[in-house]
Amino acid sequence: MSNTASPGSTAPLIDAETLSGAADTLPPLDSPEVVAMHRRMRRRANRGRIVTYAAAFAIAAWILLPIYFMFSMAFTTQETVRSYPKNILPFIPFSIDTMTFFLESEGVLRGLWNSILVASITLVLSTLISVPAGYAIARYLFRGRDLFRLSVLTVRAFPIVVLSIPLAVLFLRAGVFDSLWSLALMHTALALPTSILVISSVFASVPYELEEAGQVFGATPLQSFRHIIVPLVLPGIAASGLFTFVLSWNEVFAAAVLTIDNRTLPALLLTSLANAPDEFQFAGSFFLMIPSIVFMFFIRRYLFNMWGQVSK
Amino acid sequence: MTRAKTWRRRLVPYLLIAPAVVYLALFFAYPMYEGLVLAIYDDDALLPVRGSPALGSDEVAKIPQGTALAVLDRQSLEMADDGATDLLTDEWFRVAGTGAGGVAVEGWVPETRVRVREQDTSGAPQAGTVRPRLGQSVDPLTVVHAEPNDRSAVVGRLEQRAPVTISEVAVLEVWFLVQPAADAASAAGWAPSRYLQVFDDGESGRVHRGTAGEFTTAFIERMVDDRFFGPALRTTLLVMALLIPVQFVLALIMALVIHSRIRLSSGFLYAFSLPIGMSDLAAGILFFSIFTGNGLLNSILDGLGIIDGPFAFLTAENTNWIIFAIVLAELWRATSIVMVILVAGLQAIPDETLEAAELFGASYQQRVRHIILPLLRPSIQVALILRTILAFQVFAVVIALSGGDVVTVLANESFRQYFDLRNNNVASAYALFILLLSIASAVFYLRSVRAESEVRAT
Amino acid sequence: MAEIRIERVNKRFGDKVAVRDISITISDREFLVLLGPSGCGKTTLLRAIAGLGMADSGRITIGGQDVTYLPPGQRQISMVFQSYAIFPHMTVRENIGFGLQMNKVDKAETKRRVTSAAELLHIEDLLDRRPSAMSGGQRQRVAVARALAMKARVLLMDEPLSNLDALLRLEMRAELKRLLADVDATTVYVTHDQIEALSMGDRVAVMRDGEIQQCDAPNVVYESPSNRFVGSFIGNPPMNFLEGTIRRTGDGVVVAAAQHDFSPVPEVQPLIRALSGDRVTLGIRAENMETLPEPGPDTVAVRVEVIEPLGAQNLLTVYVGGHRLKVSTHPSVPVTIDQELHIRFPAAQIRWIDPATDKVLYTP
Repeated sequence: MSNTASPGSTAPLIDAETLSGAADTLPPLDSPEVVAMHRRMRRRANRGRIVTYAAAFAIAAWILLPIYFMFSMAFTTQETVRSYPKNILPFIPFSIDTMTFFLESEGVLRGLWNSILVASITLVLSTLISVPAGYAIARYLFRGRDLFRLSVLTVRAFPIVVLSIPLAVLFLRAGVFDSLWSLALMHTALALPTSILVISSVFASVPYELEEAGQVFGATPLQSFRHIIVPLVLPGIAASGLFTFVLSWNEVFAAAVLTIDNRTLPALLLTSLANAPDEFQFAGSFFLMIPSIVFMFFIRRYLFNMWGQVSK
Repeated sequence: MTRAKTWRRRLVPYLLIAPAVVYLALFFAYPMYEGLVLAIYDDDALLPVRGSPALGSDEVAKIPQGTALAVLDRQSLEMADDGATDLLTDEWFRVAGTGAGGVAVEGWVPETRVRVREQDTSGAPQAGTVRPRLGQSVDPLTVVHAEPNDRSAVVGRLEQRAPVTISEVAVLEVWFLVQPAADAASAAGWAPSRYLQVFDDGESGRVHRGTAGEFTTAFIERMVDDRFFGPALRTTLLVMALLIPVQFVLALIMALVIHSRIRLSSGFLYAFSLPIGMSDLAAGILFFSIFTGNGLLNSILDGLGIIDGPFAFLTAENTNWIIFAIVLAELWRATSIVMVILVAGLQAIPDETLEAAELFGASYQQRVRHIILPLLRPSIQVALILRTILAFQVFAVVIALSGGDVVTVLANESFRQYFDLRNNNVASAYALFILLLSIASAVFYLRSVRAESEVRAT
Repeated sequence: MAEIRIERVNKRFGDKVAVRDISITISDREFLVLLGPSGCGKTTLLRAIAGLGMADSGRITIGGQDVTYLPPGQRQISMVFQSYAIFPHMTVRENIGFGLQMNKVDKAETKRRVTSAAELLHIEDLLDRRPSAMSGGQRQRVAVARALAMKARVLLMDEPLSNLDALLRLEMRAELKRLLADVDATTVYVTHDQIEALSMGDRVAVMRDGEIQQCDAPNVVYESPSNRFVGSFIGNPPMNFLEGTIRRTGDGVVVAAAQHDFSPVPEVQPLIRALSGDRVTLGIRAENMETLPEPGPDTVAVRVEVIEPLGAQNLLTVYVGGHRLKVSTHPSVPVTIDQELHIRFPAAQIRWIDPATDKVLYTP
């Protein structure tokens, strides 16, 4: 590296030119000068890769370090959270002190349970509704298909804010306000568009010929769907379900607007931001992050199905 | 037979999408419509007044909210038990006693005519004496009515200070006969007290709310006049302006790194896409933990000797720092989604296309400029629309980093109007405003790219 | 002067060796075709020359300049890609001029060269169109024009005709040959289509498993394959092979195969004699056998199993002593199924192959 970086060598062609001439006059392949020059040129060709790796690690650090810091704040003593200045990262003492404090605080366990409940209902509801719709988009050409697809796409981009307040008013009027079910219904509405699009792209990735082949060999449409298509699409549908779960788990605005006593975890955290101590917030955000960190691992293959296909 | 079959087959896709359509109509389209209604339609704008003091009687006029009234008459009526508040009520007692002339009298008198002397344990009046009437001109006797109502038949009269037993209490709502004060020629009508405010003189008043609706810009005006509206809009736009360019550059770099197929690239993809599943609340708290007084940043700066003692980044005096922290948190959280869209776009560019550019002498920067960026245009467009719309919804990050009042954004104001001020209409007006901004920006991006839509990759 | 010299180039992908120690020199302005089945390493070798996939070891020089690890953009080469790799967001004019623009050729010169390249390919009317609305054949022309406009010293072509339909391919093949005859560049052309290879190349390098099996003029490769693989890969139908037994007689040899005794041409006799075992393989092409209705001297009796009329010839599958042979006959020769035919093998047309190494023993 130092060799090529020296001010003496400038233009990239110089190395080659020093060794050019009539073919017969070139030094033999295994001569030291050729070996050294090849090594230099390869290094130079690899320089782009080194920059790429450097960028990759820098960006990974930018994303991971804050998470790491947050987690170390969630698992330490309350004194450490309040202390200043804090030690350099790895020396933050480990303790479940903050965690216990958080979990023993009023309403937290209930909030966690509520979140799990709402997210699970959302998962089930949105999967039940979006599987047939996704299948229809992927497999059938029908009048209104494009319109349906387009409206689903548009709906996905709609702001949650716009939906939450009137829904809260409607639920209030219908007397189902502050219920986990009404929140789950709202979250399902938010999750449906993405869910439908992902599931339709998952179905579309399984060739229809497979289904036909099953029918040619004597299976009924339902049988061939169950034995041929279901095993192939199940991972994709599971990924979309997990994504739905995470979406509901994370959702703050509607949760805060639609619930009062039945707070989900994010709504509880949001409304207690002003008066809860830091360690409560940090431990809480640990719980907020955990599902997405775990699930993203399983979902990552389907990320491009979820967002990539928009561009077509 | 076969025709019926094909017809049934044609129906299948519609049956399959039906649940989704119904669901979205119910929980998306309808609330959306309701939201619009809340923002521009005032349910209580007009007060219908009636020909006689009874709920079922004919309406004779509608008087807008706030109109000054002349009060011509009043009357108590039995109250509908509908949980309404803001009532002006009269209480009537059913009394029994010995009337003028020694005759036993039983009937209703207004509560104002009886001094209660005995109460049972729950506080209900049991017995009392008839109050004396002051002044010479008035009848010293108290009139007893057949019903708890001025206009009902008189069943007897009671002497002043006569002892009575009280068997029942009726609470009555007062109705007023009113007429707009400015227009003595207009029809007068009756309205219950809950919709009116009658001044102390008992002769004038004001319409306080109504039961009939009217389209109005009042809520939108209130939103615009709100002292937080300007700052919220400014901050929202400022955050977007600072965030989106940086975000797209970073996302492009991330996408190019992932696309370069270095070793571990699936690991990097996982790391890079982690924030996609993070809520903005979590990201807000994350950056709060960094920027707060005894947080990471101060610890590091102090450790390096750059500052002496913690610097208060997130206080009212340092709103610029708060905005900076908001931008960083959003950059951290929402860049990944742009990256995923761009990576998907990159994957659609054939390898040979990039190799051809390289072979014909384009440097890496030239390939990015002349080949990759133009071919990514549709993806960039989609990502821009999505990001801008999401940026209008930034909410929990702001609350986490600023408490929601030092620095505020539009979505936060909508939440505050709903949550703290209980004003659904203005909250909906904010929501509507956010929606309009979103649509406008989407149209803007689509338009600005349409001019070159034939550029699209084939 | 742009001689391409490849010395001991190796390239592997993980455990798979794609190019194994290849050395070959392509002289200035030569048209060399790399031919082989898929996975033989021909494209890998081409990409090593292009710089799109650098060699692991060895040396590649172009015009005496060591380019082994030089980025492709600095090699002064141009290329036609299999998928054409036309830039979809640029007009045809911008596509053809792209390389010139990147290499900072001045505007007037660029315009001149773009126009003349477009005229050569007859696409001057398309210059302001975008490729998205164009047919495969038109895109192909744009790709070739873009490569020619560079006036590079080396022109690389990676299966340029494989994405065209059969008729268009035939037409384009002739046109490419006409165009490339006037081009000064040294050309390396990769294909898996032997007819393309034989009809276009000055030399054809037949590759298998990362190695060059034979590199010669097309007629040599066809008539005198250097080993059994080349004989079987080139030619349609492939060369016939018969397993024979050596009988050493005095100072000569006789080979028994297919119930017949063959006496090889004198030049081969000592070579066969010197083989360690007593087995040898005969190779002969379908059109080199004479078919006779009556038995004669040196004829072998065979039974006709399949007749495939191909228009200009009839291709017969005949059965003899445990072997099946493909024989082509003139359509005027009457044959029927199960008929007995008599075949003569001209000694000069027989290739003798060492079964241990699969190498052809002697090439006339």
